[in-house]
Amino acid sequence: MTDEPHETTPPTGSQASMVFDDSPNRFRASNVEQKFDGASGVLFEQAMAQTRMAIVLADPAQEDMPIVFVNRAFTELTGYSEDEVVGKNCRFLQGEKSDPAVVARIRQALESEDVVVVELLNYRRDGTPFWNALHLGPIYSTEGKLLYYFGSQWDVSDVRAARAEEQHAKMMARELSHRMKNMFAVIGGLITVTGRTKNIREEAAEINDRIRALGRAFETTLDEASRGSVELEPAVKAVLTPYDPDGNRIRFEGESLRVDPNVISTVGLAMHELATNAIKHGALREQTGEITLKWVAQADDGLEFVWRESGGPTIEKPECGVGSGLGIIDNLLKTVGGSLEHDWQPGGFVARISFPHHGRAS
Amino acid sequence: MSATNGNAAPVILILEDEAMILLEMSFAIEDHGAEAIQAPSVRSALEAIEKARPDAAILDVNLGRNTTCEAVATRLGELNVPFVLHSGDLVRQGELIARIGAEVIPKPSSSDHVASRAIALARETRET
Repeated sequence: MTDEPHETTPPTGSQASMVFDDSPNRFRASNVEQKFDGASGVLFEQAMAQTRMAIVLADPAQEDMPIVFVNRAFTELTGYSEDEVVGKNCRFLQGEKSDPAVVARIRQALESEDVVVVELLNYRRDGTPFWNALHLGPIYSTEGKLLYYFGSQWDVSDVRAARAEEQHAKMMARELSHRMKNMFAVIGGLITVTGRTKNIREEAAEINDRIRALGRAFETTLDEASRGSVELEPAVKAVLTPYDPDGNRIRFEGESLRVDPNVISTVGLAMHELATNAIKHGALREQTGEITLKWVAQADDGLEFVWRESGGPTIEKPECGVGSGLGIIDNLLKTVGGSLEHDWQPGGFVARISFPHHGRAS
Repeated sequence: MSATNGNAAPVILILEDEAMILLEMSFAIEDHGAEAIQAPSVRSALEAIEKARPDAAILDVNLGRNTTCEAVATRLGELNVPFVLHSGDLVRQGELIARIGAEVIPKPSSSDHVASRAIALARETRET
């Protein structure tokens, strides 16, 4: 089967792929009993020849299952010429660092006539390794007789490298996340212990609540901090979730919006103060009230939040005026040219927060 | 079974490698009228358990340098001591946390909350 002389020289260089690959013809010439008939036969041959997917056929009827066909993409990928590989078993592609467990899976698939897809480190003729996404399986005749095994090879070294890099970035993000949470916990401990020794426990607890809200808001930004902007909604939700554990009291109505990471701290603190205010005086004080939180990007890079409470107990403006927490937020926003307006409406407390910039245009 | 009789203050073991959190947690336990046993490492926690069986425990999950609380959790399980896991590493330790199968309180949480959960577990177990 392989003793016929091959008249063409192996293709070299990138131009080779532009030339018609005549290996199917030669394969057919040496396998007269296996005819590729009609239009589908022509299509098959063209596909085999022109695909950039390296393809090998091996003959299981022969001793050590030798290769009987390789296409041009295979010779380009591996650097071996057709003459060098036809008649040999495929294992010459393996080398020192090829994973024996994967090789065993291939062998098992061959024995049980299964289809298998694996990634295996293979070696080119010049010894350079590449990651081969190998897809192999049996080919049967119309009578159901096992004729060949096909193997298709695809160099996925770049994909592997990108995957490894992504994996590494993910690992770093998780380490960072763990350390950050730990640091927030240590800061919390410091404040609690200080509050205890100075006998200002309530104040310390209030500070700690704010710090934890900040921690929750930031936590959501870690995975994508490297992109330079972060998604607003997860941060807002992370801050407010502890005040609505069943998720049925606060409704979020905002568009998907990416903001500058430093907007997150102010937004996070503002949401925390509004929720605290609602627990003390408003919609979260009893079991019935609800809150709708909307945010809308404004012209000129502005950002506006509307916090609207309803269905809660009839509220009265607290005697002491604005809660001290909301006062802090108002001052905080003013420093960056924003504002917090609020109104103790009979139907429920309403607050409107505006940021002059959220990072897109500036 | 219990190291203390029904009326005595429950004894809560705290495994935590971060000193400030360990201190804060101890104060929170004491504020609830319970007794805190501080363990900054797996070894000291195991020693404390052998010395006197606690009524409940608070376990930090990730104790640095690939050390986790699993050995302590296993020992407490053998002794039927209830515990909560207090962790800031839920994503990476998810598998371990699922395997241990105890209540999880994510870090950072208020120490008062963590302490009251641990003490509640101690009382529940004592009553049964």
